[in-house]
Amino acid sequence: MRAIITYIGLFGLFFCLQVFIFNKLELGFGAQIFLLPLFLMILPFEMNVFALMGLGFGLGISVDALSNTYGLNASALVLFAYLRPIVFESFRPREGYDPLKIPTANDMGWDWFLIVYGILFTSSLLWYFIWEIFRFSEILLVLRNLLTSIIASGIAVSISQFFFFNGRRKQ
Amino acid sequence: MQNLFAFLRRFRVFIFFATLQFICLLLYIQFVTYPKSVFLSTASGVNGRIQRWEGGLTDHFYLEENNRKLRLENSQLRKRIFSNFYKVERKTIQVKDTTYEQEYSFIPAKIIHASSARRNNYFTINIGALQGIKKNMGVISPNGVVGIVFKVGKHFSLVKSVLTQDINLDVIVGKDGPQGILKWDGFNPRVGFVTGVSSDFPVKKNTKVYTLGASKIFPKGIKIGKIIGKSRLEDQALWKIELLFSEDYRTLQSVYVINSLLLKELQDLQLEIPEEVE
Repeated sequence: MRAIITYIGLFGLFFCLQVFIFNKLELGFGAQIFLLPLFLMILPFEMNVFALMGLGFGLGISVDALSNTYGLNASALVLFAYLRPIVFESFRPREGYDPLKIPTANDMGWDWFLIVYGILFTSSLLWYFIWEIFRFSEILLVLRNLLTSIIASGIAVSISQFFFFNGRRKQ
Repeated sequence: MQNLFAFLRRFRVFIFFATLQFICLLLYIQFVTYPKSVFLSTASGVNGRIQRWEGGLTDHFYLEENNRKLRLENSQLRKRIFSNFYKVERKTIQVKDTTYEQEYSFIPAKIIHASSARRNNYFTINIGALQGIKKNMGVISPNGVVGIVFKVGKHFSLVKSVLTQDINLDVIVGKDGPQGILKWDGFNPRVGFVTGVSSDFPVKKNTKVYTLGASKIFPKGIKIGKIIGKSRLEDQALWKIELLFSEDYRTLQSVYVINSLLLKELQDLQLEIPEEVE
């Protein structure tokens, strides 16, 4: 029960951070900070894939409605949720996932977190930019925006790992 | 039948995924192609209200800059007020001036939501159908062209800014130079392009680029930017002119929506042009 309340709180927090802060930041070079996929990432390992996709869709649509991106965020997050169990399976430790742990850098180690999150994030972001720009002649723009956004979001996500999830281990 | 169920069960995750994707992309296409639906955009009532509330919080950070811009514009406008002129000839004869008729009126508005890092950037303004805003009205700022009204809600509207893929405004290089089309490539929100100018025309750096006003959405001669570079398009005898926008769209707050009073007359007349002249 406590976990559910925590996740509902995080849902609200990530939503507000994305809409009211990160969407307003002007970083230049097409860089945008995408924090939403992190919410889908840190949900428990055993989470049902349908629920994941449903949550991704809901979160994405709510952000889309407030940033004139009309379904783009939702689409990218649904892809993230769809790929999550597949990528998690490929990077499963030999002994399987510990049900007491959650997929954060703190619980799973930075190596595991950066690789798994990196793969999932890059694929959903590439999907996002392809739909947004939608012209093969502008592939350079897709790649530039992808690269700068990965760097900006990577920094934000790394910082968040220290902020939000550091307390857990000490308990 | 059993096979069908087995198939559905086996691919249920993918089918659910595909359904959600289909809904997302349907929403996307619906937004792009049907400007009348304001659902799920910031021009809809509830979303607009949230943005206005949020804009009210962040506006204060830009107060100083906005005040400076408005003061500058006020001083320029004051110069044109008739009562500020000294009357040279007194009490001669009064004639009602019928030489000029007002062609454009301007409705002030405030931007409550904007982006500039996306490929297509839309601005939400705080006025809508109730204030007489209609689709395809032009939007300008004290420093230049901003965009065209794209969706109109009851209290809010969405403006398709110059920073979009297919803005295609008709422009003129210099006061009476060659005409071209304004484009934006998505890379830098300060830099746009003019295409369609034949490379026979000499194009000089620092020449200003203005609206052409042929479509009557914008008055003629509204500033857009100045030329900072040019290159020849491959295989074509055309310039690709690079220009620095005179307005910095990243900090824009106050705009004017242009109501073109003679636009309807022009459009009605154009409708009467027979499609095939025999």
